[in-house]
Amino acid sequence: MAERNTSTTSLKPASSPTVERDLKAVTAVPDHTSWWNLTTSEWHILFASTCLKMLLYPAYRSTDFEVHRNWLAITHSLPISEWYYDATSEWTLDYPPFFAYFEKVLSIPAYFIDPRIVDLKNLNYDAWSVVAYQRTTVIITELVLGAVLVRFIRNSVDTPSQRIISASLFLHPGFLIVDHIHFQYNGFMFGILLWSILMAREGRKLASGIIFAVLLNFKHIYMYLAPAYFVFLLRSFCISPSGQVQIKNFLSLANAVIAVFLLSLGPFVLLGQVPQLLSRLFPFTRGLNHAYWAPNFWALVTAADRVLLRYVTRTGANVAVNVAGVSSTSRGLVGDTVFAVVPTVLPIHTFAITIGFQTIILVKLWMNPTYKSFLTALTLCGYASFLFGWHVHEKAVLLVLVPLSLLAAERQAYFRTYILASVAGIFSLFPLIFTPAESVVKVIYSAIWLAFVYKSLSHQVYEFPKSLSYVFIDTFEKLYLLGFPILLVFVSLFPLNSAECQEPNSSANASRLEQMEFLPLMLTSVYCALGLVWGFCRLTFIYMKNESTYQGQLNRI
Amino acid sequence: MESLNPSQQPFPSSTTTSRSQTGPQEQSPTRPRLNLKSDSQPHASPEILAPTPRRHLLESSESQHWLRTPPLSPSSSRGVSPVSLFSSASLERRVRTTSYYSTRPSSASLRSLFDSDKAKELTGNGRKHEASEKQDVEMSMGRMWVRWMHKRNMKEWVAPALVAVSTLLKWCIGLGSYSGEATPPMFGDYEAQRHWMELTVHLHTSQWYTYDLEYWGLDYPPLTAYVSWICGKIGYWINPAWVALDASRGIETSESKVFMRATVLAWDLLIYVPALLMFVKTWQASRSNRTQNLSFLTLLFQPALLLIDFGHFQYNSVMLGLTILALNFFAQGQDVLGAVCFVLSLGFKQMSLYYAPAIGSYLLSKCIYLGPRAGWRLFVRLAIVTTASFVLLFLPFLPPFARFEAILQPIKRIFPFARGLFEDKVANFWCASNVVFKWKRWASTAVLVKLSTVFTLLAFLPGVFILIRTAIKTSVSATDPANDTSSSVSSTHSPTLPLLPYALLTSAMSFFLFSFQVHEKTILLPLLPLTLLLCGAPAGSAMFGWGVLVNNIAVFSMWPLLKRDGLGLQYIITVLLWNKLIGYDPRRLPSKSFVQLLSFAVYGAAGLLHLAEFIFPAPSRYPDIFSVLNVLISTPVFILAWLWSIKNGIEVGWALGGLGQVRKVTSTAPAPAPTGASLTEATVRRGVTRAASLGFSSGRRRAPTASSASSSGRPRTATNMGT
Repeated sequence: MAERNTSTTSLKPASSPTVERDLKAVTAVPDHTSWWNLTTSEWHILFASTCLKMLLYPAYRSTDFEVHRNWLAITHSLPISEWYYDATSEWTLDYPPFFAYFEKVLSIPAYFIDPRIVDLKNLNYDAWSVVAYQRTTVIITELVLGAVLVRFIRNSVDTPSQRIISASLFLHPGFLIVDHIHFQYNGFMFGILLWSILMAREGRKLASGIIFAVLLNFKHIYMYLAPAYFVFLLRSFCISPSGQVQIKNFLSLANAVIAVFLLSLGPFVLLGQVPQLLSRLFPFTRGLNHAYWAPNFWALVTAADRVLLRYVTRTGANVAVNVAGVSSTSRGLVGDTVFAVVPTVLPIHTFAITIGFQTIILVKLWMNPTYKSFLTALTLCGYASFLFGWHVHEKAVLLVLVPLSLLAAERQAYFRTYILASVAGIFSLFPLIFTPAESVVKVIYSAIWLAFVYKSLSHQVYEFPKSLSYVFIDTFEKLYLLGFPILLVFVSLFPLNSAECQEPNSSANASRLEQMEFLPLMLTSVYCALGLVWGFCRLTFIYMKNESTYQGQLNRI
Repeated sequence: MESLNPSQQPFPSSTTTSRSQTGPQEQSPTRPRLNLKSDSQPHASPEILAPTPRRHLLESSESQHWLRTPPLSPSSSRGVSPVSLFSSASLERRVRTTSYYSTRPSSASLRSLFDSDKAKELTGNGRKHEASEKQDVEMSMGRMWVRWMHKRNMKEWVAPALVAVSTLLKWCIGLGSYSGEATPPMFGDYEAQRHWMELTVHLHTSQWYTYDLEYWGLDYPPLTAYVSWICGKIGYWINPAWVALDASRGIETSESKVFMRATVLAWDLLIYVPALLMFVKTWQASRSNRTQNLSFLTLLFQPALLLIDFGHFQYNSVMLGLTILALNFFAQGQDVLGAVCFVLSLGFKQMSLYYAPAIGSYLLSKCIYLGPRAGWRLFVRLAIVTTASFVLLFLPFLPPFARFEAILQPIKRIFPFARGLFEDKVANFWCASNVVFKWKRWASTAVLVKLSTVFTLLAFLPGVFILIRTAIKTSVSATDPANDTSSSVSSTHSPTLPLLPYALLTSAMSFFLFSFQVHEKTILLPLLPLTLLLCGAPAGSAMFGWGVLVNNIAVFSMWPLLKRDGLGLQYIITVLLWNKLIGYDPRRLPSKSFVQLLSFAVYGAAGLLHLAEFIFPAPSRYPDIFSVLNVLISTPVFILAWLWSIKNGIEVGWALGGLGQVRKVTSTAPAPAPTGASLTEATVRRGVTRAASLGFSSGRRRAPTASSASSSGRPRTATNMGT
């Protein structure tokens, strides 16, 4: 289209402003941004991705599928007073009330499609009807994400880049792996998060705050991001730039947020079930690491502990070894992690470290409460929580990747961080899908996605390296990225290898194999953790250094 | 159109000019015209010249000379492919730019015919057509994507990306169930293929065609067995349990399924995908990069093959890939190599025989074209190489390695005349007519075999006949007896090459419709040449309409099979995705043309049938009612496609070789008016006087320039531009 435009303008000797205006008229946006006003290419992306997602209906699904089916049954067949008490299935309801209401809404059509879906006693029901229904709800609710991303394109400063970023988010392999194969509703949730961010971009901060409060009541993991919201809204909405407190704004925000929470928790306050609800939402009885380590700082610490333990046992150095830790070590990744050499980490420690990092970032945000600064701070807040939090799930890496994507086309530094974090983060999601058939899907899809994002964005953010150190860093990062294919080959061939080892004398090797079984997982999370920690350092450095001359798309906001 | 850039603006592209032909009032006064000749003429005359930029003519004339293709305008990415050359819609855009026909003796008449064809469309609904064309440029998903890639400077990434995406799609289809999943004791095609791996890995070759025939005995030619053996060896190396003899029957672990799916994908990537890429590069060498990419896309995502190979589970892509390779080598003039590839294809699945009449007569036509001496030499070479390859393929079953009777066993297995006239419900002539005339009750198997053979023979004869006849007409010795043994000719393909896809379609379709023992899956064979034809056709042309219609209906005709396999979801998605990718919409076909009306009717019927099947259970008295109705909807489409292929074959043959007496006209004085009784008749029959005058006038106008161009060998349009 743009091409045609240039050809017509070239006929008449047009002055450059005209050309520019014409170009804008063609490439940019219709001003009315209705939700349904999609361009052809947007329809095409929606269509193609929906086709792919529907082909994944028969794919492997995790226990989360049954978890959500059970929640459908709970919300449909029990009165609200029993929702957070029911324990028929081991998968009790442990999301905030808005999500329970959401499941209640979904359970109504489910009942008409197949009443057995919402039968509480019908555990592990996996007929075609329930699979198709639940998978379809994921696809349909993900349209919220799509709609918000389209809104991001409209009125954006750099429309072509934003278009690519929006498409990359909508087609994010993280969503494909976690939502459409593993089964969750992250697309929907992140749609709400991005909606809130969009409101912040448009300067509608009250709306942004309210929507975020709603999101918190859908899934409380978004608390990772709450500090950034709090500081941003307090500084830029409740306090004027000159330092005056805007009482009116403050009250309206506070009231709105309280109203949202009342709407969500109100029924349970009236029933007096809030303590029970909170005990379901925050089970502090779990260990430092999730069953399989999330690729965060603690994965590195745990790995270091393993190495140290081996060193200690081999050299007999005079170090106090925690006996419980030794057995925990040999057990690999399951359950509580108790360190053998490294001092034991308590929840309070992780909490302190997280808050410490976040404070540094938030002070910066307080000084510079622009949208762009907010976006970076938001990312870093989620990042810090992910890296240093207690019992973090590997899926939480999406909390980092999604807001970071919005910064991708900003500058070379952001883009490289984005690529590093995305590759490491998505790779760290791979172990969620361990069945061979779906593994092929995840690998090919992620590779295609990465190639497209990299090819289409890299050239426009390219900056010539400023000094030799940049070149070194660049080389090391490339080497690091090169390690992923090798790791992938190793991880996928390892089971074969171990299966062959098993054959000759299985009894002798059994104990060694048991230890080795976790090696691929361990390697994956440690290697990904390296990249993610480095990415955090990079992003923090970029943010704190705050070069005054931004070259990216957001510098005009 | 899609990529008018400023540098080409001074020369109105052929498309724009041919459009403005609907009336003089449409010519915009602001458009710069270098077309002096046409400007000097009074506007009352409906004829407008369409010069193309000289640059392109010079560039393209060399590469296209063999195809007799009119040169293309560089501004448009959709031009004429060798195979779509004679579809009327592409002619509509191209015929104005021809320089070739005026230099060929027989072509003046031909061109006036095309002109009349085109004018009919233009006078009818030129404006409508223009609007719809614009739309389809915007709508086609694949086109938009290819354009985006080119603009983003990722031109060379298009083909790899397509391969990657199609691989992903194939694998995702494979996540679903397969033929005979969880249906003991016999399971289905999946188990058959897996069983052959177990058989070939563990048994001596002498037992391959004899071992426990009741349980999926091997009934494909030896190459399938060798391929099974390779896959089986790999499977055995990974996990012996997958191919354990007898013990592994009906094994359905997820790992073995992944392995089996991976083997199909691997062979597909090894043979079929490279063959397609090579096809696009050889058969559409003269066309723009984008068009080649689009064709590749169209071919890669063809739903019927995706569903059968990666859903239902078979290795058809190997056979089809080898056939495409043969076609590619023919186009490059390497007939011997092509013949070897075709023998391999035959050696993989005997269904390839459906193509044999076309391939055979093409090679024969090449021999005839080369003239007596070179022709005989080629013939002997082909005969020796073909026989040798067959012998090599069957070597383990031949005397030094086995007893003489051993060869009979594979043959008996490969051609199972003992099975019925048709299996299940298949959309061919026998099954469809069986509704009213119970063949099996009226005739014995032996009679039916003979009957079907005769029918098939009669059905593919036209295709063969046209090929041979055109070869005789264009034979080197006939045109230039002195130049008989020129070695340069034998290294290129014969001029009958553009006929080959049509002949393949005719012969494959006639086998599908009339031969003995046809499966519904064999519709893949006629679909291949059809899709090859379709992939180069511009969206909205009649060729495109036929190609997509038959493709869609072919998938529809396999619906009972796919439903049994549990591939309903995959069926809907692949068909929709492909249609959307290539930007198919029957409403945008030439308005009120036969193919459009047919499409509406057939899609309506198919949609109703699906709806009925979804809502009502089959009545107990007629449990097969839906499949029978399916056959009754699909068969007429296939029969029409068969007739259409013959009609097109005749047209192309005519274009290449000319009709009866036309060739006697000397090149110095092309006929000013349509020559030949048949042609006049044709124009009169069409009953469009204006069209006739269009053709007439253009023929007259070209007369002087053509003679000058033919002497200098320079394109006529260059003269027109005042050079």
